Amino acid sequence: MTAIEKYFSKQVSIAPLAVFRICFGLLIFGSMLRFWGNGWISSLYIEPKYFFSFYGFEWIKPLGVYTYAIFFVCALSSLLVALGLFYRMASILLFLSFTYIEFMDASTYLNHYYFISLICFLLIFLPAHFAYAFDAKRNPQWTYKYIPQWNLDALKLMMAILYFYAGLAKLNSDWLLHAMPLKIWLPARNDMPILGSLFSNSITPFVFSWAGCLYDLSIPFLLWQTRMRAYAYGAVVVFHVLTALLFPIGMFPHIMMVAALIFFSPKFHETLIHKFAKFMALISTKFKGNYHRKANSCNSFQANISSRETAASFGLNQSAASTKSVQAYLAPSYVKWVFIVFFAAQILLPFRYIFYPGELFWTEEGYRFSWRVMLMEKAGYAQFTIRDNWGKMHVVNNTEFLTSLQEKMMCTQADLLLQYAHILRNHYAKLGFDKPQVYVDSYVALNGRLGKPLVGSETNLAEIADSFAPKTWIIPFTDDIKGF
Amino acid sequence: MITKINLSVFLLAIVVLLSACKTKLDNPKPDNNGLERAAILSHYANEIILPAYNQFNVKFQLMAIATDSFIAQPNASNLSTLRSAWISAYTEWQKVELFDFGPAEKETLRNFYNIYPADTAGIQANILNSTANLEVPVSFAQQGFPALDYLVNGVGSDRDACLAFYTDTNNGSKRLAYLKRIVTRMNGLLGLVVTNWSTAYKDKFIEKTGLDIGSSTSLMVNGLALHYERFMRSGKFGIPSGAMLNGVIAPEKVEAFYEKEISRTLALSAHQAYVDFFNGKSVKTGLEGPSLKTYLNALDAKDGLTGKSLSQILNEQFAVCKSKMNLLQNNLYEEVKNNNQGMKNVFTEMQAAVRMIKVDMSSAMSITITFTDNDGD
Repeated sequence: MTAIEKYFSKQVSIAPLAVFRICFGLLIFGSMLRFWGNGWISSLYIEPKYFFSFYGFEWIKPLGVYTYAIFFVCALSSLLVALGLFYRMASILLFLSFTYIEFMDASTYLNHYYFISLICFLLIFLPAHFAYAFDAKRNPQWTYKYIPQWNLDALKLMMAILYFYAGLAKLNSDWLLHAMPLKIWLPARNDMPILGSLFSNSITPFVFSWAGCLYDLSIPFLLWQTRMRAYAYGAVVVFHVLTALLFPIGMFPHIMMVAALIFFSPKFHETLIHKFAKFMALISTKFKGNYHRKANSCNSFQANISSRETAASFGLNQSAASTKSVQAYLAPSYVKWVFIVFFAAQILLPFRYIFYPGELFWTEEGYRFSWRVMLMEKAGYAQFTIRDNWGKMHVVNNTEFLTSLQEKMMCTQADLLLQYAHILRNHYAKLGFDKPQVYVDSYVALNGRLGKPLVGSETNLAEIADSFAPKTWIIPFTDDIKGF
Repeated sequence: MITKINLSVFLLAIVVLLSACKTKLDNPKPDNNGLERAAILSHYANEIILPAYNQFNVKFQLMAIATDSFIAQPNASNLSTLRSAWISAYTEWQKVELFDFGPAEKETLRNFYNIYPADTAGIQANILNSTANLEVPVSFAQQGFPALDYLVNGVGSDRDACLAFYTDTNNGSKRLAYLKRIVTRMNGLLGLVVTNWSTAYKDKFIEKTGLDIGSSTSLMVNGLALHYERFMRSGKFGIPSGAMLNGVIAPEKVEAFYEKEISRTLALSAHQAYVDFFNGKSVKTGLEGPSLKTYLNALDAKDGLTGKSLSQILNEQFAVCKSKMNLLQNNLYEEVKNNNQGMKNVFTEMQAAVRMIKVDMSSAMSITITFTDNDGD
């Protein structure tokens, strides 16, 4: 047996995966409620008149008032995933609905949405519902106590890629030598209680930049090591709590803090489940009086479980486990190949920027889907002028077409700027402009540099088609940012 | 082991971080006081915004009195008193129109004070209908200073013709009543804004020191940016010169169309008030205090290539705009017709300033514009 074969045949407790499934499902469910409660479904996906697309995914659009249905499907499937009920179907629906939402408007792109999509994709193929799940309860013959080690490692690897690439992306002169953009962002929080005065100090952004970079680069390795894990997790909590306090990054810190638990030992997760089950049993007895005496002894999610085998399938009573439930789950062989292709893509995709000339931060060609997080303070201004050959001319008021979020993103991201130019072209053609020409007075500031035009004012954007080819119509960046 | 090295470096970083915290807490550096936004907001509220509203209010009340005198006795002398009171109130208004945040934004003061060109047909219709709704968007150009411009300067070809408009036996009293109605309405709105600023809002303004959406600084900077772009650059120069639409000149869209000789004065007054606000120049003492300028300086916002500070770059651009305005004659209506390139030159320079305000300044200050999550662009 080669080392590789040996690795792929290694088995491990299902507990960490089950805990991950439950927590992850609940967190997405929480995110959906938060999104809904904040009115963002309407303000981001129903109220705007126009939406931006990812190249090649123009067919994904919000569905008007039915957009709520997509969010409903997503919330429901996340809950089903957490419960481990109809898991396969639910995980597929969750992946599809969440990814659909993510792609409805490119101006709302966030790396952590992308991360959630990828995890959802992996979950489709993982045996996360074979214990501590309603599916396992319904089908005792499909319960397993052990799963292949590499199934669990796939999730760890995904997290490691996120952190490590986020760290690599920070190895650049703006981040390390100029403490940008933290130098701009931190003083904005100097009115915070306790920590506030720290952020007026000019050294702080440097300390945070370097610490953040080292954190990202090292944390996956530290989490992977048994000896270091507790300290590493302490660092995870400190880091993400700090980012949650400082920046408006929504659910991301919470998701990462919970997801990082996957690195802990099966024993840790089993204890977690036992404690939780005891707690539930306690509540259950309190509510139901003393009808079910077994409740306390059974240590189950469901205090009134009667069948010993089912109790075992919930994985709560090791000694009672039947032969069947102890059996190890063997993943279908195609899964291995799906994962190999998936991870190869994950490892290569962030480097696609190499194929584009020009400064990545400026052109953003190959910037998304690459774990480049919190790297830029970028602001822009774009005033469009429409002309035609008959002398017609109009200066566009962007607020008539876009929301303030869309406008902000459009001003600084060349592909969105071009999409908007085409929206304007089509709009003014309908208003009687003859083959409208679209010009822009653009101005973009990056990481504290003075603004510069992103596109020349003589460039007729109406005639330029978008593609994956380098955007030669972008005015080259005049400064030099060294590094990844 | 690489991980050991990483760990020790990481721990070292934490130690450095903690010691940096400690140093900071022990000796707060004096040069960082410029980053204290409460001081800036307080200076703006106490030394500029409130005194400026008070000064405007004084001029406005003089105009209101002159209006009452004219209504009581619509004669030549009272008309010329009203006209000059209108000019000085309108000029003073230019120094408060920029505060389009907080109470003024809540009351949408500008919409009821200075949307031009005046809708003369609407005004004539309103005169005949004493209950015409003056709160809907279509009524914006039927009230405020532009409507007063029409009513005191534009209803006749000369002074006697204007007087005749009000002494007309059929409609004179209705016309005077509309004049009164507009001034009363403006006065009421101004009262709400001034009262709100001097009572509840001032403390709230100073306390909300964040930079997130809804914070005072964010509201203020976004309001200032919009004011410069849409109401100074476009309104006063871009639209009349045709730089915004079809290149077709529209001289009749200048501010104070019926008293054209003051159109450039109004623009210069508005621009100077804007520059003074940026520099934190106290309306009371004329001395500069904590301001957007000092904040940008404390942030060390500058052009990385030349080392020139952003505040200086902005002030230089403002000076260029002013110099281009100074090249124009007082009557911008005539300038559009005879020297439109001069108008367009102002527009072009103001456009450059707009970019700096909306992009360089807002970005350096980390002003937030949206409610939603963000992972850093």
